[in-house]
Amino acid sequence: MFETIINGQPKIGVYICHCGINIANKVDVYHVVDFVKTLPNVTVVREYKFMCSDPGQNMIKEDIRKGEVNRVVVASCSPKLHLYTFRNVAERSGLNPYNYVQCNIREQCSWAHSDKPEEGTEKAIRLLRAAIGKVRYSEAIASIKISALNSVLIIGAGVSGMRAAIELADMGTEVFLIEKNHFVGGRAAQIGDLFSTDEKGKEIVSKLYNEIKKREKIKLFTGSELESISGSVGNFEAKVKVNPRYIKSGCDKDKLKDAINECTDEVPDEFNFNLTQRKAIYKNYDGALPDIHVIDKKSFSPGEDFLKTYKDCIDFNQKTEILNLDIGAVILCTGFDPYEPAENEYGYKQIDNVITLQQFKRIIELNNSDKLVYNGKNIKNVAFIYCVGSRQVNGDNKYCSRFCCTAAIHTSLIIKKKYQNVRSFHLFRDIRTYGKQEELYDEASRQGDIFLKFDAEEPPVVERNGEFTTVKIKDILSEREEIEMTPDLIVLVTGMVPAKDNEKVASIVKAPVGRDNFFNEVHPKLRPVETVIDGIYIAGTCQGPKNITESVKSSLSASAKAHSLLSKGEIELEPIVAKINENICEWCDKCAEVCDYDAIVKTEYKGKMVATVNQVVCKGGGMCVSVCPVDAIDLAGYTNNEIESMIDMMTKEIAVIMKKEGEEQPSGGEDIKEKSDQKMKELPEVWKSILKTLETEEKNIPQISKDLNLPQPVVTYNLMTLVKYGYISPGEMDDKDEYYFYKLKQ
Amino acid sequence: MFKLKPEFSTELSEFGAVDINACYNCGNCTAICPLSDEDNSFPRKMVRASVLGLEDKIQISADPWLCYYCGECSTTCPREANPGELMMSLRRYLISKYDWTGLSKKFYTSKKWEFGAIFLLAGLVFLLFALLNGIPVSTDKVLLNELAPWQIVEIGDWTMAALLAGLLISFIFNMYRKIIIKDENIKIPLKLYFTEFWALIFHFASQWRFSDCEMKVKTFWKNILEGKYNYWIVHWLLMSGYVILFIMIVGFLGWFQTDKIHPWWHPQRLLGYYATFGLVFGTVYFIIHRYKKDRENTKYSHVTDWTFVVLLLMAAVSGILMHISRVSQLPVLLTYYMYVVHLMIVVPMLMIEVPFSKWSHLAYRPFAIYFDNLKKSAGKIKSGS
Repeated sequence: MFETIINGQPKIGVYICHCGINIANKVDVYHVVDFVKTLPNVTVVREYKFMCSDPGQNMIKEDIRKGEVNRVVVASCSPKLHLYTFRNVAERSGLNPYNYVQCNIREQCSWAHSDKPEEGTEKAIRLLRAAIGKVRYSEAIASIKISALNSVLIIGAGVSGMRAAIELADMGTEVFLIEKNHFVGGRAAQIGDLFSTDEKGKEIVSKLYNEIKKREKIKLFTGSELESISGSVGNFEAKVKVNPRYIKSGCDKDKLKDAINECTDEVPDEFNFNLTQRKAIYKNYDGALPDIHVIDKKSFSPGEDFLKTYKDCIDFNQKTEILNLDIGAVILCTGFDPYEPAENEYGYKQIDNVITLQQFKRIIELNNSDKLVYNGKNIKNVAFIYCVGSRQVNGDNKYCSRFCCTAAIHTSLIIKKKYQNVRSFHLFRDIRTYGKQEELYDEASRQGDIFLKFDAEEPPVVERNGEFTTVKIKDILSEREEIEMTPDLIVLVTGMVPAKDNEKVASIVKAPVGRDNFFNEVHPKLRPVETVIDGIYIAGTCQGPKNITESVKSSLSASAKAHSLLSKGEIELEPIVAKINENICEWCDKCAEVCDYDAIVKTEYKGKMVATVNQVVCKGGGMCVSVCPVDAIDLAGYTNNEIESMIDMMTKEIAVIMKKEGEEQPSGGEDIKEKSDQKMKELPEVWKSILKTLETEEKNIPQISKDLNLPQPVVTYNLMTLVKYGYISPGEMDDKDEYYFYKLKQ
Repeated sequence: MFKLKPEFSTELSEFGAVDINACYNCGNCTAICPLSDEDNSFPRKMVRASVLGLEDKIQISADPWLCYYCGECSTTCPREANPGELMMSLRRYLISKYDWTGLSKKFYTSKKWEFGAIFLLAGLVFLLFALLNGIPVSTDKVLLNELAPWQIVEIGDWTMAALLAGLLISFIFNMYRKIIIKDENIKIPLKLYFTEFWALIFHFASQWRFSDCEMKVKTFWKNILEGKYNYWIVHWLLMSGYVILFIMIVGFLGWFQTDKIHPWWHPQRLLGYYATFGLVFGTVYFIIHRYKKDRENTKYSHVTDWTFVVLLLMAAVSGILMHISRVSQLPVLLTYYMYVVHLMIVVPMLMIEVPFSKWSHLAYRPFAIYFDNLKKSAGKIKSGS
């Protein structure tokens, strides 16, 4: 798949950058120029103050255009800065961008060895020799192009999923939107009043659903789960399992109502966090969408008569279907679960008036009277305990769940408006009503809510005292006095944890999760919606805790990214991929084992089993190249020839002596070699004397320096080398704790 | 351990507190307060105690009396929670707590009671004159001492003084109980009561702390006109005027309530002029600022703030009018009527203000400093420093 263009002999152009004074004041650029001129195949050598500038780039362009150069080396800063700059120069001048090699003589030379300019210059020469050695064997590789399907699978039809679907459809991409639940809306539908606009979650869900229904490009499948996925970016194959509702389509609505009334099978309602019961024939809530009921087969045990009466409504012949979807990319919008407090955490499940914030929101939405009543009790004051399940000292959830301070404070404003004489107590660690939400905090304090602050190490204590529940808190704002209160209701402000189904999806799609078990993005600041797997994007709370605004922002990002990837109909991939020579390969599985991306597969070739690289998935890691016992694998852009040439050029014995005034330019002859050999023999004299002086007793550096009449730095340097080579070992520290004593190693 | 009492902040709003729940404990108020220090750190702690309803913590503290309401805290408060006004409302609250009769609470929280009491007492004075004396005797020369013989008035004065002083002393003892006796952490050695006594006299006479309140401005004259010394000087003028009148009326009424007309440079007249000047200048000055609301500490006025300063002014003005009428030989009846009116103002003012309302700060403030010094010195002895 990669072509090797042999355009005659390599004509190497070498360009050495001064980088202002960054390189030039330590590395003797002119000396490097002189040296490099003498190397074979080097046709042009130039130096310039700033190679990355326009004049610098034009220099290279001109030389290529004139035909003097067909391989380029720039010795300058790190490729992280200007690799693409100079590759583009090469491309614009008609050269293949992979015939360009960048040599780093700044970060890895002049900056690192600023105290040793002579040695730095020598190192720069060696690095440049290696780069020249590489570019001599570099191949002109073309990018790999694959066709891509302009369709996206979105997993999860909550707010993020639906918003992404709408955006993608409007941009012209086909969307398959699958939702595990039989109704759309996810967690937003459970919230009730939302902060910022005081709309209800259900209203937002309905708005989004209606927009989805208007767009033909979106195909929504509820009651559907991802079973498996194969392929790679641009060409995935997903298997989706669709669970039936068992309700006959077009059944009479009134008849169905009767059926529901008659049905006696009830289970705890998960939508209301088990606060209420629901029938086996149900909708999540009145007005849940799509507007079709569902039969929960597991909890449904109708009598014979029931089935007969309602045979026009119920159809148990409906089967689970498997869909095969061909898609170009996937966006994961699988959402979150609210943290479930442990048994007896702040009295949860043990004391009857301790509930979670999510449960409280359900109670408020379901209670439309003007009195707040729970478990038959009139609620006059509510205590909110913050940071439950987030910022844990002794748990795994170290993160802050972001949305909950605002949500809890907003809830206290809502209940004051709705139920008038309710007072809220906020037991917090910090108040993080960021941005415009700060105004809610002001309003809540001003309306008479009381805020008490506690330390993570001394959380409030919730206890039952006969009829009352008491909460005791060491209030930091009152000099840590213990304050006691008896609220009628205690609401634990629970944060977000990854949805428990995230694990299943993660293992199918192989998307990595972070330490906090949320999906991992490639870069938290610059690439927040992509995963390391090309074509798999993440949006919404499955990536990390966030509110609805932030979820929508991330799903818009993800849809933009997915669309820009697929809209051209083809995808260009970096050609740095491995290639296996089938003639040599004898399938031992070592390469496939070691590949992080599962890019190597077993195939048949001329009657034998060999390994083949999927070049679409291969990321050019190179592990396979190094483990292959028969050396059958080569990596484009880093071929064995190139690497071997680099090693040879870099390590060859050369004499590099700085040109002194009036001296002739050395040509690398024998006399130089003798002189350097001589130098090598001198050093051991110092070593010998150090070893001698330590024969009698242990000494520290000042003492040795005195004995041998040598400066301390020289002694230190040689001493350390001797320690490194195992001649000497360090002993105890001296009395003043300044120097170690050293002794001969036995 | 303290019990949370959130209704307390609603109760305190009747005593004048505004928006204290908005406080988010940044501490800017305490940082900027010129009178707050490490030993007595306010007003944030007091705001916090008020929001949580920790009444015991408030009553055991002398801090509300150590504040002289420069208002810098309220100006600085980023939440506009009016800590300065909170300290003022705590003073009103404490006055109503030291008072065991319960009348003071009624006067602070009910306008009906406040004005009802004033008019009732004024009415009683009027009835006293109307029924007992009838209307006056000689109509060609002013003889006040026939209308109201000074010996009898003096007896009235002493009775009233004894009654009011007795009440006030019992309230001070109540204050002592709350600040010193109820504080289990501190035991005051007897000797300290004597060695610290000078503070009581000194602060009573000079109101020295008032001069540290308020931000220091650039020049000495500016400090007098608008800065540190301004309120202190005006207040001292008013206070000294009042004290002079008090001494003359209670101790030397025979000399003061004379029917002789002395020359203008006579002490009886000069002292009276100084006193009334101090009273009128002070009250008018404070009334103007309260009306204009142009200073942080006059933005909010409780009804008792008005009654105090207006009654004082009316007492002074009625006294001046009576004096003018007497020495200028205006119709005799006018003088007699003015005398009655004067007493109809002064008697309610004293009966209500001295033990049950704002006047009592004259006693509570010096005693608060005294008690606080006792606690501080006892603490130093205990820690051996």
